[in-house]
Amino acid sequence: MFFFTYVRRELRSRMRQAVVTAAGLALGIGLVITVTALSSGVRLAQGKVLGALFGVGTDIRVTTALAPASGGMAQITPEPYVRHSDTLSSPTQGTMAASSVPAIARLRDVTAAAGGLELTEIKATIPADNAPPPSSFQPPVQVSVTGVDLGHDQLGPLAAARLVSGRDFAAGQADASVAVADSAYAASHGLKTGSAVTIAGTRFTLIGIVRQAPGSNAPELYIPMARAQALANGPGGSLQNKVNTIYVQAASAADVGTVTGEISRLLPSATVTNSASLANGVAGSLKTTAQLARSLGTWLAVLVLLAAVAVASLLTLAAVARRVREFGTLKALGWRSGRITAQVLGETLAMGIAGAAAGIALGLGGAAAAAAAAPKLTATVQTTNTGHGGFGGGLGADGGIFSGTVGGPVQTFANPNATHTVAVPFTAPVTTGAIVLAVILAIAAALLAGASGGWRISQLRPAEALAKVA
Amino acid sequence: MYALSNVTKNYQKGRRTIPALRSLNLIIGDGEWLAVQGRTGHGKTTLLHILGGLDRPSTGSVTFAGHDLAQLREAQVTRLRAQAIGFVFQTFNLVPTLSAAENVESALIPLGTRSGERRRLVAAVLESVGLSDRARHLPSQLSGGQQQRVAIARALVKQPQVLLADEPTGNLDEDTRDEITALLEKLWRGLGLTLVLVTHDSAIAGRAQRVAIINKGRLSIRHDTRPAAN
Repeated sequence: MFFFTYVRRELRSRMRQAVVTAAGLALGIGLVITVTALSSGVRLAQGKVLGALFGVGTDIRVTTALAPASGGMAQITPEPYVRHSDTLSSPTQGTMAASSVPAIARLRDVTAAAGGLELTEIKATIPADNAPPPSSFQPPVQVSVTGVDLGHDQLGPLAAARLVSGRDFAAGQADASVAVADSAYAASHGLKTGSAVTIAGTRFTLIGIVRQAPGSNAPELYIPMARAQALANGPGGSLQNKVNTIYVQAASAADVGTVTGEISRLLPSATVTNSASLANGVAGSLKTTAQLARSLGTWLAVLVLLAAVAVASLLTLAAVARRVREFGTLKALGWRSGRITAQVLGETLAMGIAGAAAGIALGLGGAAAAAAAAPKLTATVQTTNTGHGGFGGGLGADGGIFSGTVGGPVQTFANPNATHTVAVPFTAPVTTGAIVLAVILAIAAALLAGASGGWRISQLRPAEALAKVA
Repeated sequence: MYALSNVTKNYQKGRRTIPALRSLNLIIGDGEWLAVQGRTGHGKTTLLHILGGLDRPSTGSVTFAGHDLAQLREAQVTRLRAQAIGFVFQTFNLVPTLSAAENVESALIPLGTRSGERRRLVAAVLESVGLSDRARHLPSQLSGGQQQRVAIARALVKQPQVLLADEPTGNLDEDTRDEITALLEKLWRGLGLTLVLVTHDSAIAGRAQRVAIINKGRLSIRHDTRPAAN
């Protein structure tokens, strides 16, 4: 076909210019793909962190701070004899009436709401008050236990968990003494399905073992909500009809902000956290990378792409200027301006397609190189009121609880500024959407360059063009 | 074929108006060979451009085959040029990246001629100018005379009614000039074309039926050239 023959011959005759134009476009497209892949990777990593911390399906989390008077402190007065204490309490979070859960569920734009009790079981041996100080410190044993709302298995702490063995809670087990253990806890304590665990002096049967996403700061044991409420005690006494966390699912992502406001109005003293506000609380190299990808990477890609379009346009205009005689002759032969413009567009389009192909290869390589060369990313998240601090295995660990017992009363403290750092696996996935975007950008850039040449051609009067020859 | 009535053409250069053609009246008959002579810059090429619809007169009318070129829309003039008017230039004006055959074929593109028909017409016209064996050569691989033959083939492949040649031998040596002149004369006689040929060369002009002289934009006809060989 004449059109393609003409395009091919023309590009071959000015191969160097065609290569420069295509290479410029390829560089821009490659950067767009790489930056898009990095952004996707960062979003994915953020999603993993937030999903793990927040729970799949949960859009909003409602908690409340401890009343200042309670201070998260439990004081146990020693007796004249050695005593063993096994308590289940909510040392880092305040509690809310369980009736808040249906109240939130009734709000507009709320799909579902589930209550939860995120508790800490502390097992301690309290020496007699007249006994000499122990030769070695015996730290209390702490286990994180969560009371699960069995009516909403798609919401809350178990929603994201993967069952490793046994089974999940059944609807009829609301008052049963059954528990599900986290796989890490089960492994470290030699537990398996059917094993018995004691929580607040009550024997529970392990019916299942689950695995949560890495970095999720998952509780060690899960029990039915009603059992948790019955066994736990707070500063004000029993936790019957109380929850300390409400998991909320909004009707759509767009409604999360509105629902957050509605809950804040309904429960003024509550802390309402959504994924956006939690993301703001994420620190560490993941956040730095996200900011870098968003700001520097995007601008760099846009600038290179603009430069590529400018270079392609200038080279096209220069080529048109050099070919004035040729186009004047074609007009003398009866070619319409539109037909000549189409020919030039065909040439720039061919360069654009070549640029897009090379750009995709560059982008894939760039994304792979970035993923391979990326340092290990970490995300640091404040754990205050958002989960289980973890005792960490020593005094003063950053797990959120400080405990001590030396010859006097046993005291436990909540650490309000505890943080939690997780390693985040980083990938830079190149999506089909990114490739389609790159191809569209390359073609648009090529057409823009061709259009600038086409405009010049349309302005060309044949007599004028031929006069320049003479 | 052509009737030019009171045609003037002015160019603006800044605030100055430069007259290229002044009150020009001319009738060119069907199948006539008119040679146009004159000094450089006196309006020969302007006249040729106006005859070919490449430029419009400032005033006056240019009637070609019943159409006033001065009044037609650009698209109509372009179509008329594609169908009925062939051009031959002094510098050949071949597309450097296309072969001889493709250059000739380019004249058929605006007519929408089918590919097979184009190939047939191109082969025939290249045969008629004696360049069948050079069809796949690029212009840079051809001599000046061969390039001008390709340009003539390109002008003739669409079987136009008129051939406008602007100093077609101006860039050629003496032998090649005679060869091209002979070819044009042969084609004019054989095809019954109307031929308007701008030339400085009195020997070539002397072979035309009529010779027009343009001097400072004014045209006069010399009737004392050798009689047309009909």
